Amino acid sequence: MKSMPRGTRKNVGTPRKERKPGQKKAGPKAEGPRIGVFVCQCGSNIASIVDVDALTKYAQTLPNVVYAENMNYPCSRQGQDEIIVAIKKNKLDRVVVAGCSPRLYEPTFQSCVSRAELNPWLFEMANIREFASYCHQTTPEEATEKAKDTVRMAVAKARLLQALKPIELPVTKKVMVIGGGIAGINAALDLADMGFKVYMVEKTETIGGYMALLDKTFPTLDCSICIEGPKMVDVGRHPNIEIISYADVLKVDGYVGNFKVKIRKNPRYVIAASCTGCGECRDACPIEYPNYADMYLGVRKAISIPFDQAVPLTHTINRDYCIECYKCVDACGAREAINFDQKPEEIEVNVGAIVVTIGYGMYDPKDLAWTGYGRFSNVFTALEFERLILAAGPTGGKVIRASDGQKPHSVAFIQCVGSRDINKFEYCSSFCCMYTLKHAVMLKEKYREAIEVYVFYNDMRSNFKGYEEFFNRAQKSGVKFVRVKLENRRITEDPQTKNLTVFGENEDGKPVSAEAEMVVLANAAIPSQAASELAKILNIPLGKDGFFVECQPKIRPTDTEVPGIFLAGACQGLKDIPYSVAQGSAAAAQAACVLSKDSWTVEPLVAKVNEELCSGCRVCESACGYHAINVEKVGDKSVAKVVEGLCRGCGICSSACPMDAVTMPNYSDIQIVAQIQAVMERKLKKT
Amino acid sequence: MPLQTLKKDTAQELSLEWVLHIKNYKLNLDKNRCAGCQICSLACPKEAIRIEKQSKAHGEKAQKAKVDIDLSKCNFCGICDILCPYGAISVTVDGKHLLSVLDKESFPQMVRDIKAAASKFPMDHDRSEDVCPMELIKVHFSTADGKPVEDPGSLNESERRALKVDVEVDKEHCPCCGICEAKLPQGAMHVRKLLSGKLAIKSEKCPPECTDCLDVCPINGVLYLSDDDKKVHANEMFCVYCGACKVVCPVDEALDFKRTRVNHTPVRSGAWNKALERLTSPTDLTKELKAKGSLKTRESVKKRMGLKGEKHA
Repeated sequence: MKSMPRGTRKNVGTPRKERKPGQKKAGPKAEGPRIGVFVCQCGSNIASIVDVDALTKYAQTLPNVVYAENMNYPCSRQGQDEIIVAIKKNKLDRVVVAGCSPRLYEPTFQSCVSRAELNPWLFEMANIREFASYCHQTTPEEATEKAKDTVRMAVAKARLLQALKPIELPVTKKVMVIGGGIAGINAALDLADMGFKVYMVEKTETIGGYMALLDKTFPTLDCSICIEGPKMVDVGRHPNIEIISYADVLKVDGYVGNFKVKIRKNPRYVIAASCTGCGECRDACPIEYPNYADMYLGVRKAISIPFDQAVPLTHTINRDYCIECYKCVDACGAREAINFDQKPEEIEVNVGAIVVTIGYGMYDPKDLAWTGYGRFSNVFTALEFERLILAAGPTGGKVIRASDGQKPHSVAFIQCVGSRDINKFEYCSSFCCMYTLKHAVMLKEKYREAIEVYVFYNDMRSNFKGYEEFFNRAQKSGVKFVRVKLENRRITEDPQTKNLTVFGENEDGKPVSAEAEMVVLANAAIPSQAASELAKILNIPLGKDGFFVECQPKIRPTDTEVPGIFLAGACQGLKDIPYSVAQGSAAAAQAACVLSKDSWTVEPLVAKVNEELCSGCRVCESACGYHAINVEKVGDKSVAKVVEGLCRGCGICSSACPMDAVTMPNYSDIQIVAQIQAVMERKLKKT
Repeated sequence: MPLQTLKKDTAQELSLEWVLHIKNYKLNLDKNRCAGCQICSLACPKEAIRIEKQSKAHGEKAQKAKVDIDLSKCNFCGICDILCPYGAISVTVDGKHLLSVLDKESFPQMVRDIKAAASKFPMDHDRSEDVCPMELIKVHFSTADGKPVEDPGSLNESERRALKVDVEVDKEHCPCCGICEAKLPQGAMHVRKLLSGKLAIKSEKCPPECTDCLDVCPINGVLYLSDDDKKVHANEMFCVYCGACKVVCPVDEALDFKRTRVNHTPVRSGAWNKALERLTSPTDLTKELKAKGSLKTRESVKKRMGLKGEKHA
């Protein structure tokens, strides 16, 4: 204590209070806690470098250590049983395992000590594998010394460990799915079928997402809306699902099991409950405007639905274009579904879990000058082409040029427009190769010799079930594949014929080119416009590519860092329909893990506020990255209150607090100082 | 090809365009015909049209106000086209001048009650064509066998009487001032006002030497500079109530101007009611609605009475 650094002196006084009950609880005997140390050999992972026998002997010399042994695999069933026996036999009330990373095995040993009727938070782990044997393989002696330091630190902390109680949070057995694309539809249907109430919030007028706008799906060439439409209808009809469409998520408060979501329902000026979707208003409406669902190739009425299979079928008046002639009101007649006085409505719903499936957006290739998009009338994006070839599309399925309305005799598809470009989007957009093959095959199989189809590609990515076979089908159908570098591509237009010439360089750097009457760009898919806003609302991180970051890319792809919030579909990273469907169901299963419980247990390692010391200065409030600590009025005093469900135990509030009023259980100043002192001991002795 | 929204503004015309893959919407404003009145900007349901008063250089004539249309607000409904008394605006879809708002009876057709009796026209090109301040009347003379006659004045009385007269009135661009009716022989032209209202100049309020209203009035004969007091006076008889004068008048009280009625086909439309209210006044709108209501009542009563009468008979 004498050598304690100046800044920490004030810390000594406060935690003393908490030490007393801890000690009382842990060891009624006057001599203090009884610590057991179990050193792991980990096969040869640790034992081949660190002298585990010497380490065990050393551990026995440490104060309060009444038992120490080394064993091969403490984490094994047998090892755990040995620990339990040792705890009981030696009346241990603190356990230290010197082995690998607590990230991997702390939960295992916590459950082990609790089986020996010891509080799981009276367990401490010393990492002598990553910190000693792995990183000091050439210097075993020093590695052993470092392992001793590590164990000494762990014991020093173990001496001060306190028994804690896990925190139980209630669980609202309802769930929200944000985004009604194919991933969200699957998540919602699965959860609803499991018996949970589902709120599906959709930004646009209808659920369905991009899949509802596609003509066919690869590699089977199924009609896209024919397979998605029935699912959309199922969502609309499911007694457990409530669609909240044409709505925005404004605010999300709370934590796993207890989210409070504020939603704004935007006015459609049509009463959903009264609208039968008959479309008589649409027929009466004189005003048309460009339809986003047709990629603005066609128009829709000022009162209408974006496409025939929309769910819900409720019509919407676009007041930006409506002239308020009220012909729709006359047409609607006794149904009285139209209400021009509708206002935005804010509602609040409580849910236990949230599944985020907001999908993606499309990059506008106008700023890639080499493509000529926006300047040359016969250059299209892939989604525009999708609406052209779709029988229910604005041209009735006729693939025609914009310049003269004629069917093209040659079409060139250009891959990787914006994607796989380090100056634009470094990632691969994942599904463009396959949809281009789909378009190429559809054209070639429909028009045969009457059309020449070129695909200017760099790499053909066809790596899932049935995809490579589909690539072969495209090659057999006579599609000409031209492999070009991604650099130095350009497109020129003949001002008379409006035909286009695509130029590129092959692998040898030699120029290649082809003339085509129509060009279709595989423009990059990009993060949804709503992603950054929603990331802030949900407090979940966005990656540098702009997509939501999953908790762990390999084994937890649908978790976020926030417990109770899950991801599925393209908002987590671009993926095709089957993958999105699978993820939707995966996220549903994970949400169900929360919803199926009556209470959700969280570790008690959350901030504690000493209200007597707290001055209500709000420093902690602004320091917290999780909105987990807020200053509230208690009587005539302002004090910080911790929202236990939100607190992640990071300790920032504790270190920021100028009054030392916030402590982290089992990470208190006195425990940390004890560890620091323990590690400094060897150095102090030497000097 | 993505949706293209285009705007072109030249000395001759202002044009707005939506180019979609399958459709083309175009609005054309002929600046030569535009009088700079406020009607389009008042009537536009999207408030897309702005009237910009032009600054006047000292000693120069006043310039008519300039019309500017906001491409991001315009929805190509064509209401400005329908209402423009000078026919300066034309909205077309795929090149065709067919307006959906008329088709769906969302807006009334303006009624230009103009009739020409060719037989009553004087046998003189210049006299009859020149009476129209907008040059919208064309008179063709031809012999019985169809030969066009350029100068009927050179023919003798009996030859003239045998001439065939054809009168062509460009109704689309006619604001219905009625000057032709007054100046041509009685019965030659019949014109009813498209717009009705009130125009009076309180000369005593006019700034000295101000002729701004006169400078911009497109109809020669409505306003004139009096030799007596060197002030502008109005001959309301020929006024078309477009309001171009009111736009440029620098003194609010000097020009007493209002529109009270628009001659149109019957319609039931919120868009029309709003436009009418803004072109005239809430009182005038109420008058029209009341009139429409009483007309309806009268018709239904008549119908019932008629049916009863039949039964009795």
